[in-house]
Amino acid sequence: MSSFKIAISSAALSALKNRLESTRFPDELDDSGWEYGVPLADIKRLVARWRDGFDWRQEEQKLNNELPQYTREIEVDGFGVLDVHYVHKKSESGQGIPLLFSHGWPGSFLESRKIIPLLTKGSGGDPVFDVVAISLPGFGFSEGPKKKGFSLSQYAEVAHKLMLALGYTEYVTQGGDIGFRITAEMARRYGGEHSKAWHTNVIYSPPPENDDPSSYTASEKEGLARGEEFQRSGSGYLIQQSTKPQTLGYSLADSPVGLLAWIYEKLVAWSDNYPWTDDEVLTWVSIYWFSRAGPAASIRFYYEFAHSGQGFGTRSSQAVPTIPMGCSLFPKELVRIPKSWYPSVGNVVFEAEHDSGGHFAAHEEPELLVGDLRKMFGKGGPAFGVVPGRSGYID
Amino acid sequence: MSTEVPYTISVPESKLDILRQKLALVEFPDELENSQWNYGVPLADIKRLVARWKDGYDWRAEESKLNKDLPQFTRDIDVDGFETLNIHYVHQKSPVTNAIPLLFVHGWPGNFIEVRKILPLLLQSSPQFPSFHVVAFSLPGYGFSEGSHKTGFAAEQYAEVAHKLMLSLGYNEYVTQGGDWGFLITRIIAQKYGGKHSKAWHTNFPVGTPLQFSSNPILYLKHLVTPYTEAEKAGIERSKWFVKEGRGYHEEQATKPQTLGYSLADSPVGLLAWIYEKLVTWTDSYPWTDDEVLTWISIFYFSRAGPAASVRIYYEVMHSKGFLQSPSLKPTIPLGVSHFPNELRITPKKFDHNVGKLVFQAEHSSGGHFAAYERPEELVGDLRKMFGKKGPAFGVVPGKNGYEEKVIANL
Repeated sequence: MSSFKIAISSAALSALKNRLESTRFPDELDDSGWEYGVPLADIKRLVARWRDGFDWRQEEQKLNNELPQYTREIEVDGFGVLDVHYVHKKSESGQGIPLLFSHGWPGSFLESRKIIPLLTKGSGGDPVFDVVAISLPGFGFSEGPKKKGFSLSQYAEVAHKLMLALGYTEYVTQGGDIGFRITAEMARRYGGEHSKAWHTNVIYSPPPENDDPSSYTASEKEGLARGEEFQRSGSGYLIQQSTKPQTLGYSLADSPVGLLAWIYEKLVAWSDNYPWTDDEVLTWVSIYWFSRAGPAASIRFYYEFAHSGQGFGTRSSQAVPTIPMGCSLFPKELVRIPKSWYPSVGNVVFEAEHDSGGHFAAHEEPELLVGDLRKMFGKGGPAFGVVPGRSGYID
Repeated sequence: MSTEVPYTISVPESKLDILRQKLALVEFPDELENSQWNYGVPLADIKRLVARWKDGYDWRAEESKLNKDLPQFTRDIDVDGFETLNIHYVHQKSPVTNAIPLLFVHGWPGNFIEVRKILPLLLQSSPQFPSFHVVAFSLPGYGFSEGSHKTGFAAEQYAEVAHKLMLSLGYNEYVTQGGDWGFLITRIIAQKYGGKHSKAWHTNFPVGTPLQFSSNPILYLKHLVTPYTEAEKAGIERSKWFVKEGRGYHEEQATKPQTLGYSLADSPVGLLAWIYEKLVTWTDSYPWTDDEVLTWISIFYFSRAGPAASVRIYYEVMHSKGFLQSPSLKPTIPLGVSHFPNELRITPKKFDHNVGKLVFQAEHSSGGHFAAYERPEELVGDLRKMFGKKGPAFGVVPGKNGYEEKVIANL
């Protein structure tokens, strides 16, 4: 284990500036708004800022100051050793509930930034947490796998082994986007003995066999309609990444503006009118540009998952995890499934619904998300004391 | 008919400089071990092509060859509800005065270069087979045609441009050949201008819809009881592969073409990979040379409207009503179909009857999506059979049957 500070080389910084300076822009159809993808004006403005004004060194320093980071070698069965990057912040009391936070795509460890101070420092009757925010293999400053077939079980294995390596033999998890899928896999494989409870800010699931559409409530219908809209007009990235990630990868690795557009489109489309500042976006995208495995690596998850037999839309043939599950529903998440589907996903003991927030819940609505975790795991909550000896309170 | 404005491809040196500059700065991703073509284009292919593109590939020489082989022109075409677009096209008249006027329509990621090999064959004069006057235009947003800047420029507009171009060249009556988007565009031409102007149409991309008992009971029953041929079975597997593994480009282009466009415009290697993947996976082991590929990609890179424009057709068509191919909207003019085994969507041959008024059908044992480029002899052979003296569409264009008139001297 080594402590880690992000330190992008000046060579990399000037190479990026060089490429930004030679950016060639496409034209755009008149009055196309966001219909055809990211508007040209947004991209031009962001590229201009990225080239001149955006101060990566300052952002890097802030990140290093706020987030205690480390790397650690994790052996993955059949794949050798991967050097994994993660944030690890213990609660102020040092006896917080161990919580693994898993980001998704196009997210990163950055998404733990706002929730870590809230989770590690309670007030009054709040439980506190020891937070581990992993950079998934191929993302952020974690190595990526070199072999084919690194799929859901491997991601789950890495996260689980990281927790064990940190001395957390029993822990809970929080995840969204592909982090939902990874923590679900952890709940299936390690639930009971190690993973004691899991919380997500989205639930993806195909309809169960005994589905009864006449039982859907109005908001459930709206949630499913959102999902259909996503499939119809917002899932091009997913289909491409699930089938030909390498082909797309050439663009993402070679073109900062290409990478920016690819990611920024989702930052805006998937959030609930979140007031992104340009520097916020550029920091987010820079993590991908400067990532250890390169921008083409992160999207391989989709291919591996889609080809694993457990892919998108398939009903899991494995047993439903039995450990307590909590879910927070945000109105701009990509889909919301009916409650009647929950039993085919997990043992939902906690559910909260909010009026604002989207896909990047930890970044958009940190207070709401942490509030839910506190309710779920706090005294009187349905998952209070799931981790023996670490209730989140100073006893 | 107004006089033709000749066009010579002459990419400005500044554009070549930009390309060279970008190729010099290329950043490659890594690749998973043994991933071959499963995850997309292999890194070795891309590295080799980029190295050649940077040093060795001679665009000026290719440009010169294109200008020599393909007589090109431009012409302004007014599009109803849109702008006047300056359209680039290849046009060559046959030595046979009464040759059949034929419009060739490409698709994506194709371009006018696809006419290159069939052109000399189509122009050939012989008592054994008909000859054609050939027009091959660059679809708006492709090659050296302008693209529209307005939203909603969909299949009907492409058809309108094609039709008006033929009229402006004095071809009041003509036939068409098309694949990929060319299939849909020539189908609309057949629907809207068929009978009066378009007299027959031929396609190598017959996307047939399933037969229905109500519209064709005999054929429907026949289809039920006739087992699929080996070729049809292989075709169904190929179609399944395409739907499962090969549609990413389609989904992105049909929903967020602008987002993708930033990559295609800014990164030559990104553009190369995006298109080269299709040049290989959509053809039937066609032995692409690196320079052949690079010329093809360069046409996109140096295109008048820029590389991001060509993919907008997917969005526009998917969002417009003109996309539906109901059997009840079947054009009534004669249809010819050629089946090539490595096409992308292969529907059973009987479904061709739902596409149009089928009068000619051929099946080949090799060839893929870019039929005119991969199998020029076979494709032209089919057109000659369809339109020739013994063919089902002989003489569809009055006074232009494709043969030299025998002039009997007054002795």
